[in-house]
Amino acid sequence: MAYFIFGFSTMVMFVALAVLLHLQFGVTGIVNFGIAGFWGLGMYSFGVFLVHFGFPYAVSLLLATALTGVLAFALGWVILDMDGQAVLVATLAFATIVMHLVTTEKWLTEGVKGLGTIRYPFDLGRSTEAVFLLIVVVITIAIILYAYKLHSAPYGRLLLAIKDNETLARSLSKPTFHQKLIFFTITSTVMGFLGALNGSINQFLIPRMLGPGVTFTVWIALILGGYRRVLGGLIGAVAAIGLFDLVIETYTPIPAAYAQMVPAIKLMLYGLTLMLVILFRPLGILGDRKRSYLHG
Amino acid sequence: MDNYSGSGTATDQTLPTKKLHLKHVAKSFGGRKVVDIEDLTLGCCGIEGLIGPNGAGKTTLMSIITHGLKSDSGEVFYYPNNCEVEISNMRLDEIARLGIVKTNQIIQDFASLTIRDSLLLSLSTPKYERFYKIFSEGALRKEAEEEIEGYLEYFHFENPEGYALSAGEKKLLDIIRCLLLKPKFLLMDEPMAGLPEDQMRKVMDLMMKKTSEEDLSILIVEHDLDVIWEVCESVHFMAEGKVLFQGSPAEIRDHKTVVEKYLGSSHV
Repeated sequence: MAYFIFGFSTMVMFVALAVLLHLQFGVTGIVNFGIAGFWGLGMYSFGVFLVHFGFPYAVSLLLATALTGVLAFALGWVILDMDGQAVLVATLAFATIVMHLVTTEKWLTEGVKGLGTIRYPFDLGRSTEAVFLLIVVVITIAIILYAYKLHSAPYGRLLLAIKDNETLARSLSKPTFHQKLIFFTITSTVMGFLGALNGSINQFLIPRMLGPGVTFTVWIALILGGYRRVLGGLIGAVAAIGLFDLVIETYTPIPAAYAQMVPAIKLMLYGLTLMLVILFRPLGILGDRKRSYLHG
Repeated sequence: MDNYSGSGTATDQTLPTKKLHLKHVAKSFGGRKVVDIEDLTLGCCGIEGLIGPNGAGKTTLMSIITHGLKSDSGEVFYYPNNCEVEISNMRLDEIARLGIVKTNQIIQDFASLTIRDSLLLSLSTPKYERFYKIFSEGALRKEAEEEIEGYLEYFHFENPEGYALSAGEKKLLDIIRCLLLKPKFLLMDEPMAGLPEDQMRKVMDLMMKKTSEEDLSILIVEHDLDVIWEVCESVHFMAEGKVLFQGSPAEIRDHKTVVEKYLGSSHV
């Protein structure tokens, strides 16, 4: 049961990240390849504040979130005026820097030995993990509802316009850089906040958790599900992580002799699924509202 | 008729009503001077035309005014309500907020916005455009409804909830988006290209109505010269980056150099 809760929490975490990426990329057109950086920065700084400095839980959570926000703002200030490829490389570089700093600054993070134990904010005995999972689910639902509402709000319309044709939006008096910067900072800060919560779910942090794998998994999930749709992230993350990690890797009866092959097979299936989606449903499983509108 | 290639003092008498003043504005692309304006005053009357052969620098000049392009040198001044604002170093969106807006020669559109969404975007103001204002759609629609419906009915859009499909629809949408910003100075870069005859008539009527009723001046670049002769009160003739002559449509039409360089003898 505990393992199921851990796996499910991880999946919910990825759903939330994928919806945030939908907001950044699918709505605003910001190619953020530094998800692991923001998420990991929130997670590790939370761990450092809590374990290394011994701050209270809520204070550590707040400080970690704020720190992620400040760095997201500074990074956004520098890169958001550049084109898509430059933003991709810069955010990826940011995530790599975070991972390397976490590895090398042993006095603060314990390096590869790992940082722990990160406790839960409350102790409810055996139901602690389940209640915490519930909190994460509620936060994720809130993010999904926000994204939904944003799609039918003037602000969402502005962000879509920025993605489609930024110069035209600016010629219509919209301060596009300013708006992108604010939105990028907020969504990246929420990624950091989720990372901090993930610290509790994992209990023990190692630098490897901040590798590009997190970023790629979120991107694959979003592309798989459909990057232009709010539920694309949900469906993609459930399919990519739920199906592969939980069902196939954990609950499918596989003879012990073949068990070692499972991770490799999983990656291959990942790749195959992604190829099939890009070939036959380039806009993901859910596709695009615009197209279905035009033909239906 | 004022000869602009001569001294720059000839424009001083029109000072009280001008909207824009360009001084020593120059722009080169790869060593070729595309725009080289000594002194130019715009917005002295309702609708002004800017004509000239291809490559004369008309579009570049317009882009420099709205700061879609940065000029190499020179200053641009704007005179809203009789005060002077230098706009040469402002950003495109700042200039648009001051009331100087340009419609596009090459079709520009937002692929994921429907016709109505596109108009709502234009009419929406910063007070609606905050990340936490996710419940303000109703208020915006209510505020915008009358104005948007007016335009949609005037131009007879078949399906405002759909996407602009034809070039003509996109071009019209571009013009309406600009008008919804309630500009003081509107630059129109070949607005008639791609428009059907009846819609052209409507745009021309609207231009004349708006400039006579509101505090709006229009500068129009158009190759369909019948449009220029009909709507413009004053015409600037541009060639090789310089504004060579300015005058009433009749004066420009009969000017010897203009006829030789641009119109051809069939127009006389």
